[in-house]
Amino acid sequence: MIARSNRIALLAVPGLAFLAIIYALPLFLLLFKSIQGAEGLTLASYIDFFGDEFNRTVLWRTLRVALLTTLLALVIAYPTAFAMARAKGIWLTVFLVALVLPMSLGVIVKAFAWSILFRSNGFINTTLQAIGITDEPVRMLFTETALVIGAANVFLPFMVLPIYSVIRQLNKSLPEAASSLGATPWFRFTRVTLPLSLPGVVAGSAFTFSLAISMYVIPSLIVGERQQTLSMLIARSFLYLRNEPLGSTISAVLLAIAIFVVLFSSWLAGRLGARQ
Amino acid sequence: MSSLTTEQSPKQHRYLDVVGVTKSFKGTVVMDQMNFRVARGELVSLLGPSGCGKTTLLRIIAGLLEADTGDIVLGGRNVSSLPAHKRNISVVFQNYALFPHLTVAENVAFGLRARGMSKTDVQAPVADALALVRMESYADRPVSALSGGQQQRVAVARALVVSPDLLLLDEPFSALDRKLRETMQIELKALLRSRGITAIFVTHDQEEAMGVSDRIAVMSNGKIEQFAEPSVLYAQPASPFVMDFVGLSTRMSGRVVTQTDGIATVRTAIGEVRAIADYTAGTQVQVGVRPELITPDPTAEMNQIKVQLDDVMTLGSKTVLHGVTSGEDKFLCELSGIRTGYTRGETVTWGWAVADTLIHEVAA
Repeated sequence: MIARSNRIALLAVPGLAFLAIIYALPLFLLLFKSIQGAEGLTLASYIDFFGDEFNRTVLWRTLRVALLTTLLALVIAYPTAFAMARAKGIWLTVFLVALVLPMSLGVIVKAFAWSILFRSNGFINTTLQAIGITDEPVRMLFTETALVIGAANVFLPFMVLPIYSVIRQLNKSLPEAASSLGATPWFRFTRVTLPLSLPGVVAGSAFTFSLAISMYVIPSLIVGERQQTLSMLIARSFLYLRNEPLGSTISAVLLAIAIFVVLFSSWLAGRLGARQ
Repeated sequence: MSSLTTEQSPKQHRYLDVVGVTKSFKGTVVMDQMNFRVARGELVSLLGPSGCGKTTLLRIIAGLLEADTGDIVLGGRNVSSLPAHKRNISVVFQNYALFPHLTVAENVAFGLRARGMSKTDVQAPVADALALVRMESYADRPVSALSGGQQQRVAVARALVVSPDLLLLDEPFSALDRKLRETMQIELKALLRSRGITAIFVTHDQEEAMGVSDRIAVMSNGKIEQFAEPSVLYAQPASPFVMDFVGLSTRMSGRVVTQTDGIATVRTAIGEVRAIADYTAGTQVQVGVRPELITPDPTAEMNQIKVQLDDVMTLGSKTVLHGVTSGEDKFLCELSGIRTGYTRGETVTWGWAVADTLIHEVAA
């Protein structure tokens, strides 16, 4: 006789089996490749990877781009989430559609749309020249700035929605209580609203950072080969260089960063949540 | 009963002066030319059913809601145009609105910190405030670990530590169970009295209002129907609404048939009832009587009714007899202590003094 809870646990078997075969197994094989040498297990390819200055530059750039993307998305998303939390009826629908609909558009369409904006005879440059800020067109396409802006645009919903859902659930009496206790709007925001919205900020940042660190299509289309990221390096290792140990190693590094972000953010969220 | 409200001059009633406040939501006027005055140190309740405008008035006084027109004057200072954080009016919210990310002590310290006091300077007043509500041993606990009664104590300490000019309490006892509610009412009233705090309670519970207040404003449809001491409200309700909302009563409608020497005789479905009133013959009225004023042994000059005993409820401190008239009207007769000798089904004659008949003119 199997206990009832155990029988219910059986319902998870198809899902777990699917994940094990399609996800965990290939991942494990990939990781194994990164430490597989001619004479048994070795960390040689890791030493090679970190010993190469180009690779270190790419790693650092990837982290920097992901961080800047997260920050830019946060700066735009935070006030947006407040506006949405206040919005009612048709306005809330407008916000949600504006946020979610572009996700169905596909990155390729968006990337080409940005190139219309960013290129030397594009909208931004002609505007800048027309109002006399610059004489020469500014190079924007194929720059890190363009990449950060584009990525922040794509990942914005993943930042807005977690913050929005936290703010939406905030007890409306709390800011009022703060006011009646003599708190100025600034004191109220920094001591009540901001700390209480941090769990949403942490969740949104973790989502956005994880997505930004592993993005491949967006940098390929916006900056191309000039400014490589880890994902592009992985693809190049496997597809062009046929260097599977190197590709596996970079994959492992990327995975380690992603796991660290997830663990760190859940630890942070737990700490923030523990007091509430 | 406090002597504050009856013996002082009208000028001293004007510690809080709400003058001509009007408020509408989306074109619907919910409060029209409201005037309302409270004396310094007075404990006042706004009593009424939900939607009567009591919470709206509270929020307007607190500055959490802007009135369309009218003024709020507090201690001679017109605060109408000030935002909530500059009014020095503390609010205890219905759900207490304690800050979930702060400890008990940090919650209490909030108002002082908002006023620019340093972390070290707030320690002494915070400790005093927590001692006042007997929560000093909980200072470092997170507020989520507190029971409802403890949360209320912290909310009161947090509101009082800033020495507010006025304390507003929005249904402060509604989240507590009955027994705790009565204890907290007694405690809070004693605390506010000892500190000389002027406070306004918002409540829909008439017993609570009568227990904690010097005066009660009974509200209905955005208007104050009557603003008086609990005893006056109960014994001389100004309208059928007040009579109905405050205390139990049996009410009958009827028409004045004669009126001589200030005694009106009213014809109702169960016979003639006399009341002290100078309504002329033909006036449509509602008459009523409180259960504890009905006696099962009436004298000849009393109003008398015949009822069939429907139920006898022995409640310990009192015994309540239920009587049904031939017209299906239900009367309650409340007697103090445990009474025996009443049998269900028997027909008896009850009565009450003519002076105890409550009477109001109603629209025909």
